[in-house]
Amino acid sequence: MKTPSDENHDLIRWLDGEMTADERRTFEATLQNDPELAAEAESMRQLSESLKTHLPAEMPVPHADFFNSQIQVRIAQMDLDEAREREKAAASTASWFSWLRMPWLAGAAAAAAAFAIAGLVWTQNSSSGTSTIASTYTPNPAVHAQVFHSSDAQATVLMLDGLEPVPAEKKIVGFRVHRAESDAEVATTTLFDENGSIIAVVSKDAKGQPTLLQ
Amino acid sequence: MSAAAPAATDPVEPLDVDLVKRSQAGDTRAFDLLVTRYRSRIYAMTYHLIQNETEAWDLAQEAFIKAWRALPNFKLDAAFYTWLYRIAHNVTYDWLRKKKIQGDGEFDDERTEHRAMPGSRTAPQGFDAPDRAMKRQELGCRIQDAIARLSPDHRQAIVLREIEGLSYEEIAEMMKCSLGTVMSRLFYARKKLQEMLKDTYENPV
Repeated sequence: MKTPSDENHDLIRWLDGEMTADERRTFEATLQNDPELAAEAESMRQLSESLKTHLPAEMPVPHADFFNSQIQVRIAQMDLDEAREREKAAASTASWFSWLRMPWLAGAAAAAAAFAIAGLVWTQNSSSGTSTIASTYTPNPAVHAQVFHSSDAQATVLMLDGLEPVPAEKKIVGFRVHRAESDAEVATTTLFDENGSIIAVVSKDAKGQPTLLQ
Repeated sequence: MSAAAPAATDPVEPLDVDLVKRSQAGDTRAFDLLVTRYRSRIYAMTYHLIQNETEAWDLAQEAFIKAWRALPNFKLDAAFYTWLYRIAHNVTYDWLRKKKIQGDGEFDDERTEHRAMPGSRTAPQGFDAPDRAMKRQELGCRIQDAIARLSPDHRQAIVLREIEGLSYEEIAEMMKCSLGTVMSRLFYARKKLQEMLKDTYENPV
C-alpha cells in the first residue's frame, strides 16, 4: 500500500518526467480515475510552467564591466600576494640557509643547545653521494670553524678553535634534512627527515641569531 | 548537468576548452572571456537562491575567483560550465548555511529591487502589447516574491529543478541529500508556492 509520501513523490516524478514509461502509464491511469489527484497534478503543472517562464536562467549582471574588472583586479592582487609570500618565505629560508643548507645538517642539535657551539652547513653532491660543507656558522664569535675535506679519503674534518672542552658523554650527531618549511608568521623553520618526521624547529633570537626551539 | 550552457558554437568565438587551457596557462584575458560568457547564468543562479542583488553579485564574483584558483586542478573531464556551476552553488550554499536564512516571509528592499525583466535573454521573444507585458512583469514579480519566501532548502530544490533542469540525482548530489529528500523538498516547495500564488491563479492579473 502506498503512503501519502509515496503518492506525493509519484506526482512530482510524473511532473518532472522522472518516471519510466511503465510507471507513467500506470500513474496516468490513476489520474483518470482520481479527479482530485488530476486537479492537483494540473495545478502543479501550471505552476511549473510559470516558474520556468518567469525565473530566467540568465540575468543581466548589474555593472557587468565593473564585475569583470573587479575579478581581474582580485586575480592580480592574489598573484601579487602570492609572489610576496614566496619572496618572504625565500628570504626567510635564505637567511637560514646561511646556517642550514639542505639536504645535510650536521652540527649537533643537542650540542648546539647545550653549548651554543656551531651550526654547520652541508651540501650534498647528489651524483657522487658525497657531502661537502659549504659554509659554517658559529654563534659564539670566539669559536672559529675550519673544514677540511678529502675526496680520496671520503672524509670531512671539522675543527673548532676556541671551543670549551666538550664532555666526553656529549655526542655530536648529524641529521639528514630532507626538506625545510618556513613559517613567516611565527618566524620559524621546521626541518624534516625523509620520513616526514620533525628533526628540529629553529628560530631567531633578538639578535637575529639561530635558536633551537625543539 | 542537463542544463549546462553550450560551449561557443560560433566559429569566431573561441571554444570553452581553448579558453580554459589558456586560463590554466595564466592567461587572464582568456578567463575574462569565460567570465563574460557565463556571468549572466551564474548571477541568475545566485540571485534566485539569495534574492538579494548585492549579495548575489558578490557571490557570483566569488565563484569566478574560486574557479580561477581551482583551474589548475580542472582536468577538463566535464563541461566548464558544469564545473563552474558546482563551484557557484557551493559558494552560495555555504553562504546560505552561514546566514541561516529561514523562509519566514521577511522582506527587505534589496530582496525585491531586482526583478527579472521581460526583456532578459531567456524571456520569450516577440513584441507584447504594453498591457500584456505589464501583466507578465506583474506575475514575474509575484513569483519572485513567493520564491524569496521559501526556505533556503526548498528554494534551492526549485531553482535547481525548474531553472537549471537538473535531474533528481544531480540535485541530490548538489544538495548532499537523498533522492527521497529531494522529492519531498520539491513537493512541499511546490505546495507552498501554490498556496502563496493561489490568488494569482484564481484572479489572474
